[in-house]
Amino acid sequence: MLVLQILIDGFAIGALYALGATGFTLIFGVSGVLNLSHGALMVAAAAAAWAAHTEGAMGSLASAAIGLTVGVALALATFRLVVRPIQRSPAIRAEEREIFILTATLLWGILIQEAIASLFTSNAKTVPPLIGGVTLLFGVRIPRNEILTAILCWAVIGILWLWVNRTRTGKAVLAASMNSRGVILLGIDLSRIHVAVWAVYGLLAGVAGVLLGMFLGVSSYSVGPLTASAFSIVVLGGLGSVYGSIMAAYAVGYLETMTAYLVSPAYRFIPALLLLVTVMYVRPHGLLGRR
Amino acid sequence: MAKTAPLRPFWPVLAILALAAFLPLGVSGYVLGLLTLAYYFGVFAMAWDLLFGFANEVNFGTTFLIGVGAYSAGILDNRYGLPIWACVAAGTAIAVVGGLILALPALRVSGPYFGLTTLVAVLLLQNFVIIFSEVTGGEIGLVVPDVITTDAAGNYWIALALLATSGVILTTLSRSAVGLILQASGQDRIQAAALGFNVTRHKLVAFSVSALFSGLAGSFMVFYMGTASIGTLIDITIGVQIIIAAVLGGRRTIIGAAFGAIFLIGLTEILRPTGEVATFLVSAVALLVVILAPNGLTGMVARKARP
Amino acid sequence: MTSLKLPALLTLAFLLPVAGRAAEPIKIGVISEAQAVAGASIAPAAQLAAEEINAKGGIDGRPVEIVAYDDHSSASDAVRAFQRAVNEDHVQAVVASYVTEIALALQPWADRLKTVTITPGAASDLIPEAIAKDYAHNRYYFQGFPTSSAVAHMVCDSAKDLLVKHLGMQTAVIMSEDAAWTLPLDATYESCLPPAGLKPLDHIRFSKDTTDFTPIFNRIEALKPDVIITGVSHVGVQPTVQWKNQQVPLPMYGRSSQAINPVFWKDTDGGAQGVIMQAFAAPDVALSPKTIPFAEAYRRKYGAFPAETGYTAYDAIHYIADAVHRAAGATDADTLAAALEKTDYEGALGRIQFLPPGDPHAHALRVGPGFVQGVMMQWQDGKQVTVWPASLANGEMRFPSYIVTKR
Repeated sequence: MLVLQILIDGFAIGALYALGATGFTLIFGVSGVLNLSHGALMVAAAAAAWAAHTEGAMGSLASAAIGLTVGVALALATFRLVVRPIQRSPAIRAEEREIFILTATLLWGILIQEAIASLFTSNAKTVPPLIGGVTLLFGVRIPRNEILTAILCWAVIGILWLWVNRTRTGKAVLAASMNSRGVILLGIDLSRIHVAVWAVYGLLAGVAGVLLGMFLGVSSYSVGPLTASAFSIVVLGGLGSVYGSIMAAYAVGYLETMTAYLVSPAYRFIPALLLLVTVMYVRPHGLLGRR
Repeated sequence: MAKTAPLRPFWPVLAILALAAFLPLGVSGYVLGLLTLAYYFGVFAMAWDLLFGFANEVNFGTTFLIGVGAYSAGILDNRYGLPIWACVAAGTAIAVVGGLILALPALRVSGPYFGLTTLVAVLLLQNFVIIFSEVTGGEIGLVVPDVITTDAAGNYWIALALLATSGVILTTLSRSAVGLILQASGQDRIQAAALGFNVTRHKLVAFSVSALFSGLAGSFMVFYMGTASIGTLIDITIGVQIIIAAVLGGRRTIIGAAFGAIFLIGLTEILRPTGEVATFLVSAVALLVVILAPNGLTGMVARKARP
Repeated sequence: MTSLKLPALLTLAFLLPVAGRAAEPIKIGVISEAQAVAGASIAPAAQLAAEEINAKGGIDGRPVEIVAYDDHSSASDAVRAFQRAVNEDHVQAVVASYVTEIALALQPWADRLKTVTITPGAASDLIPEAIAKDYAHNRYYFQGFPTSSAVAHMVCDSAKDLLVKHLGMQTAVIMSEDAAWTLPLDATYESCLPPAGLKPLDHIRFSKDTTDFTPIFNRIEALKPDVIITGVSHVGVQPTVQWKNQQVPLPMYGRSSQAINPVFWKDTDGGAQGVIMQAFAAPDVALSPKTIPFAEAYRRKYGAFPAETGYTAYDAIHYIADAVHRAAGATDADTLAAALEKTDYEGALGRIQFLPPGDPHAHALRVGPGFVQGVMMQWQDGKQVTVWPASLANGEMRFPSYIVTKR
């Protein structure tokens, strides 16, 4: 019984982590950007969905759609207002770009976090579930929406895979992540690729945020931990590797869940941190990372 | 390789220091208290700049070192009642040891992996403090029975002295071989190593010095505020503020970091009447500076100084 | 004619300095957290109290002025705000914070800057214990909110009536966040639940940063207790919503600070249905003749009912003013502190008295029937229904369908 509970709970958490991490690693792989406002985007999407429902009296599906829209809009804003000016700035040398983008996205994330707290208070918000009620799965009582969450996460990851491997734009994105100069030589407009990637990233972060809001709830305080969590998982899995991120997401999700069930909820985060330290020491580029 | 800024700022900085030393004669205790905190932050930011600003790596190493030093000093006073100077010395020494322990995994990696290692170190330290709360005070923090002095001017001069001393030492170090090699490795690690520089040894020196000052300032801060807590010393937001202060002030200048810290804390305080949106406004200003004036405050001043 | 002029002039000369002083306002600094639901009521409630006092002519003619500061839930920001309040804005007293960590960080500063300070919301027993242990250095500090142990005793007393006698419950699991204020709370729970008739089967403390409560609820459920006794403040929305979504068949009963807030129903989208919480104030319970009028006045002015800390902050301003009045206008810290120690004031919370120096909880609020008492409330269909004590109750307990009780 306990084993089943751990398996199911861990699976749902892992799926959520995987979705968030996939977005994070995608934007790094293609744009070379470690977006430290990642958590802020997720929380903003969830907060927007909550507000649409509570203040705007919209149904759960409409609220979720609002949340997704906000996620995409904010991601594009991050690109146009924060990332692109730094990438194009003549005053910043190439090797310094990374630190500036890190600092700038960090500040941008703080701005979004403060805005959310000012508008809606720092209290946790929950998004209304798409389907209510519970059901029995192998004898374990589980909310129906939790099953839906796991399914949706995997569906989105699956659609992403199809997009990258089967569509023209998607393949261009994949190519750009491997060799951006080659892509330009092929006549593909690189700037359009970037916009497309950021929009897709916004969608991924938005879905992850809204689903997280339904499942567990978020608050403005979640912003930092969510970014740190995505960052850790992506580095653990190897920067730029989507498979690595998914593997790492499940590793962390299950480690946390097992610790919470078997040891104590108070020590939930520690084994994952220790795993991170070990992997950093033994395999510094992550499980499936490429240099 | 970029040239480090010439020694021209030396005289203006000396003048500013002299002015600062005389401030307590005319300024209120409240402003002194604010500047005291800003000076300690300045030390943190300068320590960060030496190690990470030069080496082009964003990370939270200083937060870890501050926490280790400050909590060690605080616990020693709280549990064993050692005299303050002994606690501070011990805190600093333990911070240096902590720095070396952090350096072990941290130096094998670079870039975001380095940043992550330091982030994890901070998170582990936080968890450690919470779990061993009987010793560390846990969530509420540690109340230290002794304070150096309750006199605002006294505290101010101590902080100023620490800022000036660490500024001189860190600046000297940054212009020495250590600083140049850190910069070189920050720009092209492989090339730096290929040129025969023992990158690791120099980074270790930088780590130790950075740890020394972080731990020293952290310990002093504990005996200034009378408390040590996660929220004031080991929070990620502290690390974020340090990075922002250093980048805002102008990286690779060391003194720029100090100015950035003072600017940040001063601005936050001036905006206090705006209430809850103060953090938002300060972050917005910082973001604009980072995007529009990447060389920070010192860069803006330097540009004006050049004809 | 001339014979009247001199005495008239003399009287005028005598009155002038008094008139000059009459205009000098009494400034009270209020440090709180505007972005937190619990902290957002403190400054507005203080302002309301000040306006009421001034409408009646102030304190012996002197108006009360509130100077507000936001500490962003940060101890160092709070310390800086405190320094600014005393050194720059020259306040005579400070009302600060509902967060225990911040209240404790300010304690030494109240002595260093010799300013009377009252916390309207920090509950840890450590606060009055520090005052008792080192009275000389902490005597300017007062706890304007009942201690964690007082909260726990209230939960146990009410549980005896509501859960044991009424519903035949026998076992419980204590679920609390790992924070400073819950240490004395849980210790008291463990000692007062058995005599009340509830045996604690386990005691689970979870990290304040927990977001996934599923393992915790599953663990509790596996032990098959009759009720979950709670101690949460930093979290509230998330465990409650997850409790509802997972349809955990156990009632939640105890101290849940966020659940007391009137906005909690909206924040949990109705997930709070059936949650029973201990509170020291509610908008429709006449804990004192002043409770409901204050709540109504607050709602008229600000558009929503106040959080619990609104009531305590409102009372704090009033009994500070009362102390200044009893001290004949003196506002130096020593006189004011001595006057506050003798407070016997009827506030929105109830009858306010502080425990005297010498008591192990010196400067804590006196709690009990006739003083600050508090109630147990339950969320029912968007309303906070008072279910205990019987003298103040305005409804019966009702639970959602997925909760199973013996009777």
